Amino acid sequence: MKRDRRFKAGIISSLNPIGFNLERWSYTVHRVTGVILVGYLMAHIFETFQLGAGSTAWANTMAALHSLGPLELVGLWIVAGSALYHGGNGIRLVLNEAFGRFMGKPILPVYPYSPTSLGKNQKIAVWTITGLVLALWVWAGVYLLAGVGVI
Amino acid sequence: MDKITLKISRSGGKRVSYEVKYRKGMTVLDALTEVREKQDSSLGYRHSCRMGICGSCGMTIEGLPMLACQTQVSTLNKETINIEPLHNMDVIRDLVVDIIPFFDLHRSVRPYLIRNNVNERDHSDREFKVLTEEAERFLQFDYCIMCGLCYAACPTVALDPFYTGPQAVAQAYRYMADPRDEGWEKRIDLLDTSHGVWRCHMAGACSSVCPKDVDPAKALQLARMEVLKKRVLRKRGKEGSGLVPPPVAGVAKEGVKPPPFDFGGAEK
Amino acid sequence: MVETIDHDVVIVGSGLAGLRAAVEILSRWGDSGKTLGVLSKLALMRSHSVAAEGGTAAVLYPEDGDSLELHAWDTIKGSDFLADQDSVWKFVSLCPVEIRQMERWGTPWSRREDGRIAQRPFGGHSFDRATFAQDKVGFFEMRSLYDKLQEHHNWTRYDETFVTSIVVQDGAFRGFIGIKLKAGALVYFRAKAGIIATGGAGQLWKFTATSVSTTGDGIGLAYRAGLPIEDMEFMQFHPTGLIPTGILITEGARGEGGYLVNSKGERFMQKYAPSKMELAPRDVVSRSMMKEINEGRGFTDEDSGLSYLQLDLRHLGREKIDTKLPFIKELSMKFIGVDPAEEPIRIKPTAHYTMGGIRVDGNGRVLDGGGRFVKGLWSAGESACVSIHGANRLGSNSTAECLVYGRIVGEDVTAYLDSEPKTLPPSDSSVVSAEEDRVFRDLFRREESSADVYSVKARLRDIMDKSVYVFRDETGLSDAVRQVRALKDEFRGVRVTDGGNVFNYNLQDVLEVGIMLELAEVVAQGALNRRESRGGHARTDYPKRDDTGWLKHTLALRTPDGPAFSYSPVAITMWKPVERKY
Repeated sequence: MKRDRRFKAGIISSLNPIGFNLERWSYTVHRVTGVILVGYLMAHIFETFQLGAGSTAWANTMAALHSLGPLELVGLWIVAGSALYHGGNGIRLVLNEAFGRFMGKPILPVYPYSPTSLGKNQKIAVWTITGLVLALWVWAGVYLLAGVGVI
Repeated sequence: MDKITLKISRSGGKRVSYEVKYRKGMTVLDALTEVREKQDSSLGYRHSCRMGICGSCGMTIEGLPMLACQTQVSTLNKETINIEPLHNMDVIRDLVVDIIPFFDLHRSVRPYLIRNNVNERDHSDREFKVLTEEAERFLQFDYCIMCGLCYAACPTVALDPFYTGPQAVAQAYRYMADPRDEGWEKRIDLLDTSHGVWRCHMAGACSSVCPKDVDPAKALQLARMEVLKKRVLRKRGKEGSGLVPPPVAGVAKEGVKPPPFDFGGAEK
Repeated sequence: MVETIDHDVVIVGSGLAGLRAAVEILSRWGDSGKTLGVLSKLALMRSHSVAAEGGTAAVLYPEDGDSLELHAWDTIKGSDFLADQDSVWKFVSLCPVEIRQMERWGTPWSRREDGRIAQRPFGGHSFDRATFAQDKVGFFEMRSLYDKLQEHHNWTRYDETFVTSIVVQDGAFRGFIGIKLKAGALVYFRAKAGIIATGGAGQLWKFTATSVSTTGDGIGLAYRAGLPIEDMEFMQFHPTGLIPTGILITEGARGEGGYLVNSKGERFMQKYAPSKMELAPRDVVSRSMMKEINEGRGFTDEDSGLSYLQLDLRHLGREKIDTKLPFIKELSMKFIGVDPAEEPIRIKPTAHYTMGGIRVDGNGRVLDGGGRFVKGLWSAGESACVSIHGANRLGSNSTAECLVYGRIVGEDVTAYLDSEPKTLPPSDSSVVSAEEDRVFRDLFRREESSADVYSVKARLRDIMDKSVYVFRDETGLSDAVRQVRALKDEFRGVRVTDGGNVFNYNLQDVLEVGIMLELAEVVAQGALNRRESRGGHARTDYPKRDDTGWLKHTLALRTPDGPAFSYSPVAITMWKPVERKY
């Protein structure tokens, strides 16, 4: 029998949080920022590795990077935001998973149902981290713009 | 509204629309039954209890996995309802999916009460002593009706076909937290694998779609903590609850008496 | 080519009785190399047993004043003295053993303060002996049995396999023929022993508490195989079923102190059962409710046109409802939008339990028309009629019966297999190919349908709801018999309209409705013949119980012209029948 795999799975359906709860949205952002950080790590290693090929090779790489103009700043800003979010959310996840914080205790469910692991404590934790990350991200943007003299 | 349209994803890639007259209190299952009985008898979907306790009628309604028998059309509040089979499982026909792999995953975590002394469990004459507070540590996870909605909502299942899944891990934890169980160490080894608890990333979608508030996300994190307790803190499994003491002889109270036998007595 | 699958034992039906028998057999076998097959027309955990709510009765605390004699007396009096008293005694002796065994297998019974199992009052029992697990007893028991079954390895599960015929030849059981819905092909399950545990026939009525799958398959197939079915006219109508669907609200709600009120706001049970009030046996309460409705003291639901009364739980308080009755709070809020702590719940008597079934003896062995054991065939649970419930079943006795008889049948089957070396029955291909013709001839016939199976089903259920309900009379019943016969003729013109092979639910519906029509004829005709009122069978034209003429079990055998009725005596070994007052 030919298997119908249209609804089976895949990266798209795994990353698609539409209609689901807040924590699933944060899962998607965590995954995407993780990929961005891995990409940045590889690019950074490549760029620093050029030093082994001589100071001109490294200077050429840096000049190529600076020739991007404003895109370089935007890229760095995105990486900064990714690092902030991934790290901050990561701390919340470690508290959730290894220490059982914000999850609530096993209870006897009473209708209407509201799972305690997605309850008030969890939501406060998610929004606090997100708020902190956003504030620091804005500050990082200001810092970058000040660095090139725009502000 | 007096008419609703069901747009159902059927076998072979077709999306077929059916119009159904709306009545007050109609559930999605009622609408599907109308379609099958009056319009197209080849529509395949599972259903049994129609009261949200058997777990047969899981399907993806408007993008989210739900039980069709307890989803009121009025709550969805749309004129056109999109219905698809449950995600992350092979589709056999129309809305019927293959749930056997899901049941096999449940079996793989040894979801039964394990005692070191099997005779205590199988050949005794009294019950185990369990206090209500002890029971509350696992009772929430025993509400699971095995409907598969959590499995369909989990993003890790979508990526990893060998992942144990939220339902199986929650049931493993249900037995680990049961004060009567003595299989704690065995289950740690079953969960601590590359496709076990470590694949969970706390997306919480499982808990948000669970129709019985089993909260598998919580069970998963609690199970993860148990694994860490064994691997990092070197904790040992403890003894399960003992049997209740036998009743004290000779203190029978006077109760209601049935009428005397008319024929000398009952066969003993 | 029909596939043949061989097992030592095959169990049809995966509810409480079927799974309990499977666990018993597998525990006794250990690693003996024998194999077991469990068939179900749904997936294994989806059986209707999960919907059982109230409790399981057992004498757990004789030191507190309960006694086996009292439980037996309550059961026999509750059955309106139609129960076979020797089997009742065997049943009540094993109930406490079963409760404790289930507890040791993981069932989370609710507890008292000292850690022992708690019990609560229930209808018809003179002592608080209903063991409960919040209010989802059947569900937790099914979970424990299903989980325990996962421990064993020498069994195979056949999910979604619809059994279409039982092969009985020369007075012995040969096997089951079933359709694997996933493949759309017939399979012949040969076995040395078979257990039928398919449940009751609640879906014959439109307003019912049972699942869509409870169509009386096992009972109907045994009837077709020439085996007698017993006491089918006794159907229990549970007093509290939600309007308009019929979904069950457990008797435990009344056990915890709920009131039944009519439109005048009075607790009408005062008039009918002054000492037990709402906790009288279910047939007494259902009859009282229908009397109130018929005399105009009921409410009417505008949307569905059904009359109803009210179950008032407001005085219990939110906390008690949340801890002891959470499931009915969920049902009531989900399906009718009523919070039981704020408003009364709308209820009416709903078809719930089939007291009748396949005729078996005290060990669960199926008996043929002459009273001889059909070698190799057993039945347990609701589909069997031992009979320990007689004309009316007390609440919380059915889950107990399934567990006890699952165990008894499991023991008996293992003893039977051990006692003589058994070989598998010879493979009779003519029976199997005849069955294949019968089933798939329906599927591939070319002519157009002259009748629609769903319209036949709807009309059958309406007839049963109207004429074979709580109160019956001569005109209504003969009308019902006539109409059911007309529907049977019309049904001959039904064809399967879905031409697909895989998961053809239309084919399953056609097969089910065929069985339902035959059972409906037995029920209606049996009710018409029985000119008395006893337990669940209440006739307005013969309102008294008639022990001289009718203290006997009804047996129905299939003939080409319809059911042929005979009667068999009731085993009275402990108490003679007395007037039944509550």
